[in-house]
Amino acid sequence: MKKNIAVLMGGRSLEREFSIKSGEKISNALRKLGYNVIKMDIDESIVNNLSSEKINLAYIALHGKDGEDGTIQEILEVLDIPYTGPGVYPNVLSFDKIVSKQIFESQKIPTPPFYFLNTSSFRELGSSKLLPFITEKLGFPLVVKPSAQGSALGIKIVNNKESLPEAIIYALSYSKKVILEKFIDGVELAVSIIGNDKPRTLPIVEIVPKKEFFDFESRANIGQTDYFVPARLSSSEEKKIKETAIAVHNSLKCNILSRVDIILDKKDKIPYVLELNTSPGMTDTSLLPMAAQEAGMSFEELVNEIISMSL
Amino acid sequence: MSKKITFDYWKHLYSNRTKYMVSSEIRDLLSLSARPDIISFSGGLPEVRALSFERLEKYIRRIIKTDGAVSLQYSGSDGYYPLKTKLIEVMKLEGVDTVEEDIITTTGSQHALDLLSKIFINPGDVIITEAPSYTGALNSFNSYEAKITGIPVDEHGIDVSILEEKLKEFKKEGVVVKFIYLVPNFSNPSGVTLTLERRKKVLELAKKYKTIILEDNPYGMLRFEGRSIPTIKELDINGDNRNVIYLCTLSKLLAPGLRIGWIVAPHPILEKIILGVQSTILCVSALSQRIAYEYFSDPSWQENIERFKSIYSKRRDAMLSSLEENFPRGTEWSRPVGGFFIWLKIQDFLNTKEILADAVRNKVAFVPGSGFYADNRGLNEARLAYCTEDTDRIKKGIKILAGIIKEKIKLYKSFK
Repeated sequence: MKKNIAVLMGGRSLEREFSIKSGEKISNALRKLGYNVIKMDIDESIVNNLSSEKINLAYIALHGKDGEDGTIQEILEVLDIPYTGPGVYPNVLSFDKIVSKQIFESQKIPTPPFYFLNTSSFRELGSSKLLPFITEKLGFPLVVKPSAQGSALGIKIVNNKESLPEAIIYALSYSKKVILEKFIDGVELAVSIIGNDKPRTLPIVEIVPKKEFFDFESRANIGQTDYFVPARLSSSEEKKIKETAIAVHNSLKCNILSRVDIILDKKDKIPYVLELNTSPGMTDTSLLPMAAQEAGMSFEELVNEIISMSL
Repeated sequence: MSKKITFDYWKHLYSNRTKYMVSSEIRDLLSLSARPDIISFSGGLPEVRALSFERLEKYIRRIIKTDGAVSLQYSGSDGYYPLKTKLIEVMKLEGVDTVEEDIITTTGSQHALDLLSKIFINPGDVIITEAPSYTGALNSFNSYEAKITGIPVDEHGIDVSILEEKLKEFKKEGVVVKFIYLVPNFSNPSGVTLTLERRKKVLELAKKYKTIILEDNPYGMLRFEGRSIPTIKELDINGDNRNVIYLCTLSKLLAPGLRIGWIVAPHPILEKIILGVQSTILCVSALSQRIAYEYFSDPSWQENIERFKSIYSKRRDAMLSSLEENFPRGTEWSRPVGGFFIWLKIQDFLNTKEILADAVRNKVAFVPGSGFYADNRGLNEARLAYCTEDTDRIKKGIKILAGIIKEKIKLYKSFK
């Protein structure tokens, strides 16, 4: 009998559109693979929907809030429904970039130096007075970003102190905490990892945005970014980056799949880890399917492998 | 061996105009507003639930029964003649007196804008719009690579002295202005109405500087208070009837799902437009045109308009009073006497584009102002549509929005 797979997509996150694109592509692949597909949006009826159907597996195609912060994973745990991607704990850790960056630091995994501040500290504790100290320590340019948001939403690169308040207010529209991070001038790389007990890396994707950085529009519009697979790296660089990515994956106790975003510093060649994604995009232009393709896996084969690991 | 990934093998073949067709963060954020839990002040969605679906069903049954084969067939490119006769009656109520031969039906007003852009705009041609102006029109003009000059709008509509200055300047430079695009009644997005004096002045300027006015009047029949002001088309008809192309739509009088709009234009222009229709869509849906004909043949259509007006005016009142109650000092907004929209201006140190994410996270959506300007102005402005949500949700949404803006002001002040 055909297995029932619920594809969880859409949701309440600001990355809803991306999620729908990923979900549709995954659903088509699942149908080709012979599964019975039940597409589900995430709203107040999700628990009812999940519990009223016989579901063999939930494929999480959600991005951002609910899908990558442990919420949906916890619901699925309670309902005893197996699901794709890492469990509750790695999702909770990775979704808050402040927590995950502190874990990286504690495990000696390089990540760009940073400070974080929250909305109420600006309003009630005069945190804006800290900014000169922070900029003194980190220098310009500075990356200002929300602590919990994907798809590069809410991020600005700031070159002077005058532009800092606007960038902070912008980032705080996406999250209650803002990260001020040292800008690393280097090569942007994405390392996709799949596997259960023995995670393995797929070919590294090198990202060359035509704009200042790999922002939302560079991701959403075909042609605004060039991608090179495998990345143009020396074998020692490649080895170091893959080892770093696996260390990141393990540090957050991930299983099944993840994607680690890294910047390789142009000068000192240190691979700085920016973040780990537990539900990487699966759209036509997403990085995980691109890496899988280079490894000789079609989109359907990739989906099938993720499912076999998750069941 | 590393290789560059190619997603699109044909990008070297695309026309220059596709560079304006990009996905944006705003568009993706606004896609969330389709969710029922989001209070949406973003789209200008007419309250079609106020229509009598039983009547519409009756019309459609009748059409299929008596005229099925013809209504499901291709039809003439210039539109369904009996509908045009009805549209003349509709327009007469707004003072536009015209004949069937001067009308062409289109697949909504957006199609009309595309057709007019196609026949008038060469890359680099100058056109003039209000600033802010309807974003769908700006997109259409941009896609034909027009150079758009936006003239500021105050509470009486487009600033005619600045318009005159600009026209003078262009004439001096030998630049031909292809047309002036205006939404004179309860404008989208500003909600303001162009005064009679200014309408006369704009027409006078168009004649003096030998250009055309595209008068887009989707909301004219949805006036809640005060007396109607003659359309610019009416003023032109009373003169030499040469300078105004009039656009209207059934989207607000009936339903946008039918996709019916129309253009009234001087005959030579209309000939070009008909050729434009032939080369794009061949003809407007014969079935939709017949449904529209049936609707306007039933005298109850005017009761529907009254029902629409009553619904929208209550919603406007709810939004205006909520803005008054909740919004902080230093914010201002327009007070429309009809239509769908209120234009909001907040503190100039705030950016509505950047507040949108916070609003959507708190389940309220609106459209940031910059999309209504050709040159990215309006960063602290926004369009609020009151037509879609009921009064309770409007009050709730405005309160949430006010809270977010107050928070942002506090945050901003903490940097001072």
